[in-house]
Amino acid sequence: MPSENIIERERCVTGIDGLDNILNGGIPRGNTILFTGSCGTGKTTLSLEFLVHGALADENSLFVSVTESSDKLTTNVIPYDFFEESLIKTGKLAFVDMPVIYERLGLTNVEFSLEDVDTLVRALGNLVDELSVKRLVIDSITSVCYRLKTEEKIREFILKIGKALSNRGCTSLLISEISPSADRYSLYGVEEAIADGIVLMGNYERRGDLLRTLQVVKMRGTTHSRAKYVLDLTPAGVLLVPLLKGGGGI
Amino acid sequence: MIKSPGDLANELHELPPSSAINLKIVSDSYFDAIRGIVDIFANKKNLNVIYITVAIPSHSIIDVLKILEIDLTNIYFVDCVSHIMIGGAKKYKNVLYVESPTMLENIMLKVEYLIRKSEGKNNVIVLDAINALGIHNNMKILSEFLHIFINNLRAKDAYSMVFTMEEFSTDEISNMMKLVCDTTITIGGGGDG
Ligand SMILES: Nc1ncnc2c1ncn2[C@@H]1O[C@H](COP(=O)(O)OP(=O)(O)OP(=O)(O)O)[C@@H](O)[C@H]1O
Ligand SMILES: [Mg+2]
Repeated sequence: MPSENIIERERCVTGIDGLDNILNGGIPRGNTILFTGSCGTGKTTLSLEFLVHGALADENSLFVSVTESSDKLTTNVIPYDFFEESLIKTGKLAFVDMPVIYERLGLTNVEFSLEDVDTLVRALGNLVDELSVKRLVIDSITSVCYRLKTEEKIREFILKIGKALSNRGCTSLLISEISPSADRYSLYGVEEAIADGIVLMGNYERRGDLLRTLQVVKMRGTTHSRAKYVLDLTPAGVLLVPLLKGGGGI
Repeated sequence: MIKSPGDLANELHELPPSSAINLKIVSDSYFDAIRGIVDIFANKKNLNVIYITVAIPSHSIIDVLKILEIDLTNIYFVDCVSHIMIGGAKKYKNVLYVESPTMLENIMLKVEYLIRKSEGKNNVIVLDAINALGIHNNMKILSEFLHIFINNLRAKDAYSMVFTMEEFSTDEISNMMKLVCDTTITIGGGGDG
């Protein structure tokens, strides 16, 4: 029976060919994905490409930026061969700065309360409704979690935001920052258990060469490859090939 | 066995796209092989050339092509040599650099990128040469690479042209080439091939 469910689940085609192949057609629509990796591994770049492809496919796409200013991010999508300026002009591809949302909601405390979490989730839900958003990126969820502090509040936030977004049929990437040596996929360990999927980006060292890698660790609602892939960031978008094993061990 | 660039081009002309060719080169025929593929064959078939250099820096090959008066417009290079050489490389248009010939995945990625950029035009991919890759990589990873690489190229209807320098070839390399390529062509030399 599960195989029938797998076939039935509608896909959000990411538009990144290599990733869609790994996922057997795309992210099951409405999934909340933890996009995780250490700094400089390409999380922001990949998630921006996901949104540009969404906008091109006529799905309203929203980037919620917590750490970088959205002006700077806009310039990052322009070099793509497939980028069209009209996407931003028509609002198909939109950017919002999280600090602006905090301010508007009066969330001025360094540490958010449980009520604050509810307020924030409601506001993001409303934003998704208003703009009919089908693809959302929050970069990064780790920065939001810094304001939540406790495991309880983080759990509450991820559960509620995930539910709010999937109820609206919105496929979301939550960017998570971890240290290269981390033995888990998120800073608090809570996020990874709740998310519908985990995509891990990293660096792989082989005899002195450093390769950028991507691996889908989990994805509810579909079968997928769990192998490591090597990636290249190009003006044609992210390209992926399988990591060669070379018959060797580790 | 083939003697001239024209004969080589004619022989290649008969092969369908997605062919994988093991081109055995006897040393003094290197330029004939290049002319036959990059100039005559590619022009006849209206193909883009994606030239992977492992033995010789791309700028040296470009110099040779200029001397041979070969049009460079539709020739792209994936250069795996210049980055590891002291002093670094002067950057050319039409050349993509791979940091080291051990980064086999990155060779595939650069070729993939160039194929995407070729927009409908078909491609011939030249790997110059398998022996040079063999110096930098062990046979296990090299044959894994060649399998995946050539199968990807087949799926994209591209011609794969893998150079083997006869003088430097080993039994291991010959066996691997027999396994992945569907045709072997020898160019140059005295005896019959
Ligand atoms: N179009 C591109 N072509 C080549 N390299 C790129 C391109 N875009 C970004 N890069 C490189 O990729 C690196 C990673 O970019 P990105 O900002 O996406 O990583 P990140 O995982 O979001 O990092 P951080 O954790 O610091 O936010 C950059 O440092 C840059 O060197
Ligand atoms: Mg980032």
